[in-house]
Amino acid sequence: MGLLALLRKLKSNPEKELKILLLGLDNAGKTTLLKHLASEDISHITPTQGFNIKSVQSSGFRLNVWDIGGQRKIRPYWKNYFENIDILIYVIDSADRKRFEETGEELAELLEEDKLAGVPMLIFANKQDLFNAAAASEISEGLGLGSIRRTWQIQACSAMSGEGVEEGMKWVIQTVSKK
Amino acid sequence: MLSMMGGCLSGLLSKEERRSVTLLTVGLDNAGKTSTIKVVSGENPEGVAATVGFSSQEFKIGRYDITTLDLGGGKNIRGIWPRYYAEAHGSVFVVDASDRDRFDEARTMLEDFLGDPRISGKPVLVLANKQDVEGAADENDVCSVLYLEQMVNKYRCPCKIELSSTAAGFGKKVDPNISTGFRWLLDQIGKDFSHLSVRIEKDLEEQKEKDEKEKKERRERVARAREERRRKE
Ligand SMILES: Nc1nc2c(ncn2[C@@H]2O[C@H](COP(=O)(O)OP(=O)(O)OP(=O)(O)O)[C@@H](O)[C@H]2O)c(=O)[nH]1
Ligand SMILES: Nc1nc2c(ncn2[C@@H]2O[C@H](COP(=O)(O)OP(=O)(O)OP(=O)(O)O)[C@@H](O)[C@H]2O)c(=O)[nH]1
Ligand SMILES: [Mg+2]
Ligand SMILES: [Mg+2]
Repeated sequence: MGLLALLRKLKSNPEKELKILLLGLDNAGKTTLLKHLASEDISHITPTQGFNIKSVQSSGFRLNVWDIGGQRKIRPYWKNYFENIDILIYVIDSADRKRFEETGEELAELLEEDKLAGVPMLIFANKQDLFNAAAASEISEGLGLGSIRRTWQIQACSAMSGEGVEEGMKWVIQTVSKK
Repeated sequence: MLSMMGGCLSGLLSKEERRSVTLLTVGLDNAGKTSTIKVVSGENPEGVAATVGFSSQEFKIGRYDITTLDLGGGKNIRGIWPRYYAEAHGSVFVVDASDRDRFDEARTMLEDFLGDPRISGKPVLVLANKQDVEGAADENDVCSVLYLEQMVNKYRCPCKIELSSTAAGFGKKVDPNISTGFRWLLDQIGKDFSHLSVRIEKDLEEQKEKDEKEKKERRERVARAREERRRKE
């Protein structure tokens, strides 16, 4: 079933609102991804100091996507956004191998948060357009994803070109509509 | 006090004591693992997407409270499997019986799987799936291409093979072979339950220790890397 068919099928469930949280280290590509989802220009994006929120309509669904700045000094504020999250999207710069351990560490801490307990997680292995981007397998090992017990899925993508983004969002919708 | 004793007594007397079991589904990508879990748990398998990660599902069959751990079979994601082995009471190995080009790959995978010390000796149900596809290999063929007999003897795994199709329907309409297979698997687990439970507890303890050690080491490495970056800035 294509995304459109899936969305059409879910139409019977009018205007379900979903709260989606985008997290990840600085420079991972969260804001680029958010703008891509909202079909906005992605050519002038600066590091996020606070947060951005966009509401994206998808026949019958309203996705409220929260994008929080990932710089180290901002990370302590992530927890202000943990209330009532339906899906967590964790974004990774797949070309920045040096920081896999750091991003894995942040993720491990996140997953210990009570308020995020059991929330399904999509991992966007972003920047796949870069020639040195790591494959999903290398990322899942580098980040120690195997110890995660909640539902999770890793999706390779490029927020720049948009490749893989739709597939990831399809998983998001399928996963929440099951709940 | 009385009611407590009553509870105790009926627990002792009842053969139908509830049990929580964890099942693992493994097999190559596209074999039909997620579809199988959906049909046995009463969900429509239509539109399943490839699993590139992990998902778990809870449902009941008879006196068993089942949790299935469904893992992606693709090359990119197989590496995570062993992290989920310790907690399994038994597993379901799904093979696409219509995809003869990949039988060798499936055999290698099965051998690696059964050979893992956390899996050897635990019961495994093999589903020769996609029987609705014309030309699908039958039981004998699948057994021989997988060297199933030799393999389960070598690793001492109680094993049963069933021909299956998830296209038959879900819930009440589920392929009877799938139900038979699951019932067999649960019976095997039930028979050996206390032994399996002890084993799981021990393996989980070991894994926890390993995880914690790794976590601590990573934490230290990350702190060092951060420190280094700060000095450079
Ligand atoms: N090549 C490539 N570059 C990307 C991609 N996605 C984002 N970028 C670039 O990466 C840089 C950081 O992107 P942002 O979207 O600002 O990253 P962020 O995660 O929002 O960063 P913070 O707001 O600091 O947390 C920008 O220069 C983007 O153009 C991608 O898929 N491919
Ligand atoms: N004809 C037929 N198709 C099936 C059967 N079981 C599964 N399929 C199809 O095979 C494809 C793969 O099924 P999945 O259940 O996603 O396979 P999987 O083993 O979970 O694959 P990964 O998640 O990639 O590891 C899907 O298109 C299913 O519809 C079956 O019994 N008969
Ligand atoms: Mg940003
Ligand atoms: Mg699957």
